[in-house]
Amino acid sequence: MTTLNRSLLAALLVLFASTTCNLFAEPKANGKAAPDSSGAVSNDSYMGLSGEELWSNNCLRCHNIRPPTMYTNAQWDVIVHHMRLRANITGQEQRAIVAFLKSAK
Amino acid sequence: MKIHRCFLAAIVQAAFIITSSAAIAQDPATDGYVTRKEYEELKDQMLAMKKELDALKKERGTVSKQESAESRSVVDVHKEVAPTPGNAESTAGADVHKEVTSNATPSLAELEASLLGTTKILIAGWAEAMFEARNDQVSTFSASFNPIFLWELTPKLLFDSRLEIEPSGGGTNVNLVNAQISYLLNDYIVLGVGEFFSPSNVFVERFEPQWINKLPDRPIGVYHDVLPNISVGAQVRGGFPIGSTRANYAFYVSNGPVLNTFDPRSAGTLDFNSYTDNNDDKAVGGRVGFLPIPGVEVGYGFETSRPGFQGTPFSDVRALVQSVDLEITRDSDLLKGRINLFAQYAWSRVDHAVYDPDGSLGFGPLPLTARRDGGYAEIAYRPTKVDIDFIRNLEMIFRWDHLSADPSGLGDPSETRWTLGLNYWLSPSTVVKAAYEWDKPNGERNKNALFFQTAMGF
Repeated sequence: MTTLNRSLLAALLVLFASTTCNLFAEPKANGKAAPDSSGAVSNDSYMGLSGEELWSNNCLRCHNIRPPTMYTNAQWDVIVHHMRLRANITGQEQRAIVAFLKSAK
Repeated sequence: MKIHRCFLAAIVQAAFIITSSAAIAQDPATDGYVTRKEYEELKDQMLAMKKELDALKKERGTVSKQESAESRSVVDVHKEVAPTPGNAESTAGADVHKEVTSNATPSLAELEASLLGTTKILIAGWAEAMFEARNDQVSTFSASFNPIFLWELTPKLLFDSRLEIEPSGGGTNVNLVNAQISYLLNDYIVLGVGEFFSPSNVFVERFEPQWINKLPDRPIGVYHDVLPNISVGAQVRGGFPIGSTRANYAFYVSNGPVLNTFDPRSAGTLDFNSYTDNNDDKAVGGRVGFLPIPGVEVGYGFETSRPGFQGTPFSDVRALVQSVDLEITRDSDLLKGRINLFAQYAWSRVDHAVYDPDGSLGFGPLPLTARRDGGYAEIAYRPTKVDIDFIRNLEMIFRWDHLSADPSGLGDPSETRWTLGLNYWLSPSTVVKAAYEWDKPNGERNKNALFFQTAMGF
């Protein structure tokens, strides 16, 4: 492996370690949001945006939004999980969007 | 071993004693009848169990109709198993039932979670059919079916894979487009391994599906070996807030591209379609994105690699590909609709090398620092705020895309295209497209094309 490759890999590892250790905390149990800066636990909003706004903002960036009734709750769980990988949204956004989609039905 | 035998003997004896004493204790109740008191107790237990199930359902809150049906069937099964006054069992049976009931909450949840087709496997994807009439070429119909298999083994673990199935010649082509296992490490970090869409190329990751891509064909600038499409390796990715803004990242290590050295037309270009590596040096790449406000994202992607075959004069040649992108989506009251602006520009550079140094391939020696670039800009408008349904379902698109000439100067010339399209949305994920493309490769006859396409996402 070349020096450049080693340097890049090292940089990635440092980034990974720093993000893991310093910036982020393990989320609460599945389906519950981590506390926000005020200490309140919120499952249906993130950064001042409601689940509906997050759903609209994130999905519309690439494609038309599909109505909440188009899929079952269980299917939305899988679809939003998959979309989290594509759109690089956070776990809190994922949960807020899923909560909105389920409640909107 | 001797000690192990002693332990085993002790365990067997203990089990025997416990079983015997339990059986003795239960004997008085095995006469086949129950008293009124026992009946009342069983009734109370049933009511308590029902309450517990109601509380469980309430806790789950948003259970779908399908899940509800499944829950009911599970409850029915549970009722079937549970003792009833008319079918009174012994105290031993009641004890066992009590034990089962006390564990009912996790068991029921686990059972529901394991039902196939609900929380585990989902088939998504899209299908498309197209007609293309291009100048100087035979017009043709084409079609493809692109199933995406999603398997959420746990809320943190997902397998996703896409196939591309299309008729070709006298048969059918089936291609594995991607297959990846990903794990949600925490709210901000996702790990993935396998064959995945290259994060350095945002178009491929987000806009490639034909029900999402607003025009029938794809921009040449971000394909055709300027940027990778698929990578085989491992990646780490996620998003996180920065104050009131957001950022996202994706970094990966993968098998790198292959440097074309044998063909004079493509000498110096990178072949990203070879998914096995040709040397021990791995490609490293990624993309960082920044969202200053909702609906606006800017990004930078890159990949660096050594694409030459190991043990050849090209083994130390380094390649760097880079890409910048912009995505804007805004709703406008003034324009009574939604505007999408997507743009991406990429450029690649392969270090200086001499191709066919001894002239044995018939085109060398060819000293070359291979550079190539390309990109696209696309704007779309859909009058989503107009009251008339027919107009609201229309969408107009204009795209400019460009690809520079092959770096050897012996291959394809530079090409610039302008495409105008009109879409009609039958549903949020079903679209009928019509487009005309002005395509003029430098120094060649035009390759203007007319397209009709229908695409359905599911």
